[in-house]
Amino acid sequence: MPTEHPKLDLSTFLLSSIHDMKNSLGMMANYLEDALAQAPTEAGSQASNTPARQKTAQALYEAQRVNNHLIQLLALYKIDQSFYPFDPTEQSLADLAREALARALPLAESKGILLDLDCPENLFGWFDYDLVFGVIVQALHNALHYTRSKVLLKASASEAGVVIQIEDDGPGYPEFLLEQGNAAQRGISFETGSTGLGLYFADVVASLHQAGGRTGHIVLANGGQLGGGQLAGGQLAGGCFSLHLP
Amino acid sequence: MSLLTLPPPNLSRCSILIIEDFDGMRAILRDILVRASATKIIMAANASSAISLLEKQRFDIILCDLHLGQGKSGQDILEEARHRALLPPHSVWLMISAEKAAEMVTGTVESRPDDYLIKPITETMLFSRLTRQMEKKKALAPIELALREHEYLKALRLVEAQLEGNNPHAWDLKRMKAELALLSGENALAKTIYEEALNLRNLPWARLGLAKLHFNEGRYVDASRELKQITDGNRAYLEAHDLLAYTLEKLGDADAAQEVIQRALATSPRAPLRQLHLGEVALRRGELDTAQVAFQNSIELARNTPLKSSQAYLALSQVQQTLNQTDAALNTLSRLSTDMHGDSTARLLAEAMQIPVRLHRGEKEQALGLAQNLATGLKIDAQHLPPDAVFNLAAPLLELGETSTANALLGSLISNHHEHPEYLQRAQSIFTHAGLEREGRELVEGAARAATDIMNRGVKLSREGKLGEAIKLTREARAKMPNNARLLLNHAFLLIAWMERHGRDPALNTEARNCIELARKLKPEDKRAGELLTKLELLGNDFVLPT
Repeated sequence: MPTEHPKLDLSTFLLSSIHDMKNSLGMMANYLEDALAQAPTEAGSQASNTPARQKTAQALYEAQRVNNHLIQLLALYKIDQSFYPFDPTEQSLADLAREALARALPLAESKGILLDLDCPENLFGWFDYDLVFGVIVQALHNALHYTRSKVLLKASASEAGVVIQIEDDGPGYPEFLLEQGNAAQRGISFETGSTGLGLYFADVVASLHQAGGRTGHIVLANGGQLGGGQLAGGQLAGGCFSLHLP
Repeated sequence: MSLLTLPPPNLSRCSILIIEDFDGMRAILRDILVRASATKIIMAANASSAISLLEKQRFDIILCDLHLGQGKSGQDILEEARHRALLPPHSVWLMISAEKAAEMVTGTVESRPDDYLIKPITETMLFSRLTRQMEKKKALAPIELALREHEYLKALRLVEAQLEGNNPHAWDLKRMKAELALLSGENALAKTIYEEALNLRNLPWARLGLAKLHFNEGRYVDASRELKQITDGNRAYLEAHDLLAYTLEKLGDADAAQEVIQRALATSPRAPLRQLHLGEVALRRGELDTAQVAFQNSIELARNTPLKSSQAYLALSQVQQTLNQTDAALNTLSRLSTDMHGDSTARLLAEAMQIPVRLHRGEKEQALGLAQNLATGLKIDAQHLPPDAVFNLAAPLLELGETSTANALLGSLISNHHEHPEYLQRAQSIFTHAGLEREGRELVEGAARAATDIMNRGVKLSREGKLGEAIKLTREARAKMPNNARLLLNHAFLLIAWMERHGRDPALNTEARNCIELARKLKPEDKRAGELLTKLELLGNDFVLPT
């Protein structure tokens, strides 16, 4: 006699598994960060970039990367099902920038990339902290992946609100990404292996922020402060991601 | 380190409590804190050990996981700690959660933690939040102290003083100011702040505040319009859903009210009070099955929490009786007696409410025996019984010929709610049904008239300047109708007037404060409570504001 299974919605398993994986990766990231924080005091400052340390930083990055993706998926699901508790509050951009840079620092150090911050201490903006934090960390990770030597996180006041920019001195965004203005059309690229999730998430988060008839948006461009120069073929070097928040 | 990171806070002198059920996470948090020179770290793995630690020691910093498995949540611990004043005013409470949850965007100044941290927790994140919140709480400590003493006016003035500088937390303070204005009965001030915020952007907390004002002042159509603007786009704003359900009930639309509660429960089902509310609305609509499940859920969810109350048990047993499940009804009552054995009124109700069930089963002898045994207890406790229980008990008592007990119960009910026409009607119809129309009319009208008389005589005496006599009158009346909100407020008003003339008196001050606090619980929408608290606070008050 076959055993009867109660009917279960597979999406329930998918959701609870994503939660579980996210939490587990979060713990892994915490352990690895802890290991990195304790290592230099044992080994002395001379050996601060040992191979073991570099590999730990790489592992931390991978754990954070997948953890971030799962957090983004869950947030997008909640936004789609209209139960994300969107909660813009007035907050310090310098705090946001430092907390986001701290996420990127271990990987940057292990790759020998210089991180820089350009943000006034007294700059405040209205935003949903957790969503915007996710966008910035994603953009920093992306920049670290493509840059040659430097990544700059810049925040400034704009006419409509605030702008947060992440610039690198890598080859810049490929032409096709700059041409496809709308993130929804970007979709999954089988050529590059990019799922497009990061940009789609950034787009959704930006457009949730609204005030005084204006809506937040993202801009992808090449050039920027760190770019300086052209690649063969005339394309400007240096990727520049900006998040505009009203 | 580089210029990207701030120096870590120095936690060497701070006492820190970590409340976290997962030992791996406890160790990680502890290690991070040790790197900021923390030495006085104590850890708790569950709510009960956390509470007993909070009882023994005053912590400067509390890191608490929002979800602690079964039983009390981090939010429950925070509310209990605040309610019992177990935290020093400068203490920083950081709530840690695996994800952004709906409960993070609601709540009041008295129920919100200082900040939320979403996992994974990094060192930089924890240090920067701690540094910022420790600074902030140091500045807000006097406001926190005033709040704790329920000195809302003083707290309001202190907030205003802080807003004069270029404060980085301006909107946190303004939100607090609006909530304090509501608590002191200064509705117009609260309205100005909420409207200013909404002009700036669509902020759910400001719209909810505005809706609360409309609701309290009886503008239900306006309240429902504002609330629908919050709930239509998003079902995460639970508090707005709850208030919308109450608003729709006021507007007579029970169907829509039930739908709204069910929508909120789909987002967050583990909420005993919301389940209770669903049960009540479903019961009113005659959907007994829905009501039964909701009351059962409410009981289960509240069992080991401070939210448990006899209400859900009594309602459940009533539904079960209506559904002819009398064994289940008796079982529910005996569970009430067990689950709330520390509460003598709950135990009395658990026995007394067997009377209608026994009668329904045709066990008249047993019903009569119970009624006779409990007669004295019911008469003594009559003032403290919930109206629903009294209404359900009165008819069976009359049927059993226990008229004097029924009279005592209904008489007390009317004197506590003499301005509630629906109660007067229900009481009268119970008498009429039992063939006691005339007797009923005498009792109901008599009790209501007696209450009105006392109010009028009190007002007259105070107008004639005979404050002492007026106070004597309302004090005696209060002993007979301790839950009459209007009487409580009138009595407090007289006590305050007396002290304005003769100087502040600690005993009278406490008496007045108790009256106002109870009246506020009974009738939260009456802004007179806030106004009287303010007057009480101003009595001989010499608080000095920082310049």
